[in-house]
Amino acid sequence: MTPEQLISLLSRCALRDQQAFADLYRLSAPKLFAVAMRITRRKDWAEEVLQESYVNIWHHARAYDARKSAPMTWMTAIVRNRAFDLLRRPRETELGESQESLLASIPDDAPGPEESLRQAGDAARLADCLAKLSEEQQRSIRLAFFYGLSHGELAAKLDRPLGTIKTWIRRGLERLRRCLEGMG
Amino acid sequence: MRLSNDKLRDALAAEYVLGTMSARARARFGVLLHSDPALRRAVADWERRLTPLAEALPESPPPARVWRRIHGRLFERSHTRGLWGSIAFWRFAALAAGAVALAIGLSSIDLREPAGQMVTIMSDVTTESPAMTVAWNADTPGGRVLRIRVIGHAEMAPDTAWELWMLPGGDKPPVSLGLITTHESQTLIVPESLAPRLDQAWGLAMSVEPEGGSPTGLPTGPVLYKGQCVRT
Repeated sequence: MTPEQLISLLSRCALRDQQAFADLYRLSAPKLFAVAMRITRRKDWAEEVLQESYVNIWHHARAYDARKSAPMTWMTAIVRNRAFDLLRRPRETELGESQESLLASIPDDAPGPEESLRQAGDAARLADCLAKLSEEQQRSIRLAFFYGLSHGELAAKLDRPLGTIKTWIRRGLERLRRCLEGMG
Repeated sequence: MRLSNDKLRDALAAEYVLGTMSARARARFGVLLHSDPALRRAVADWERRLTPLAEALPESPPPARVWRRIHGRLFERSHTRGLWGSIAFWRFAALAAGAVALAIGLSSIDLREPAGQMVTIMSDVTTESPAMTVAWNADTPGGRVLRIRVIGHAEMAPDTAWELWMLPGGDKPPVSLGLITTHESQTLIVPESLAPRLDQAWGLAMSVEPEGGSPTGLPTGPVLYKGQCVRT
């Protein structure tokens, strides 16, 4: 699966080519399902997210602009946003125990992406820049990215005050940005 | 809220993409995104920066039923659309609101679904015409996935939010189920702790609240849609 392949399939989807859409699904769904699974942590919810996302992708294929974003980036963002919307919870207070057991089921460290990231250009730069952050910054950013944990959930998970978590993330992201833009 | 400060804008965009915002902050941010092109650019930039992380995840093929559902929804809708689009159906609906729940339940919900299927047809409280349907599978362990369909092209006033409430019945106060959108098709997750009460609820209601949702935990704005829960 190359970006060029996906771009061509997306442009055919924009022309309402159902076969192109089926091919696009076949090539990209395993990756996107992994993204949805990691955030929702429940198979039925991940299936729901994937279904909604591909319906969206079909309807909005015309809006995809290859000059602005890579095809996988565009589709992954759609899946992540649907997953966060689905996780949107009524009231933090209503969660009580179920939230705690959910948090306990998450490993302390999100997967270190470095190894598999060292292949492609963008991803390799991101891995290098991530590696330059402090351990706490890396850990909180990874947990947030891969599991969709909010500040409050991260504070509970890592057993640190909310303010500390916010600072780790804010400074970590700021450093990451400078590094990616070649200034750090 | 207006974001005049570029640094704040960038920091918020980063947290939106990273996914650390609370439900309320996310809902508020979503409203800002619609009206602020610079904010949309900041979000796109952060998506470009952070999304390659996802490439590290090992692939996980989804079950075949996901594709069947997508295909069914996008390309095989005529069998349910026929009834929905028919004038006779709506005439009938207006005359016999009580029977509508059953009719829609049978036409739009997969008959192979197991028992314990709950469906609520919510009507516009002024026009009394069906405005929204909410369906879920009851009697299963875990939380509930509410499948929500907004009928027609409903519009939300600026700086407001739609909040969905469960009406337990009797004298018991409404319980918030979360914020919804005007999208034709959407889902809302209800945590396990609320599931037993939801399965037993008398009905559902939707009220207009300040953006971010009701500040009090009870409906503060007008109720637009309301309906009784039916077990099919």
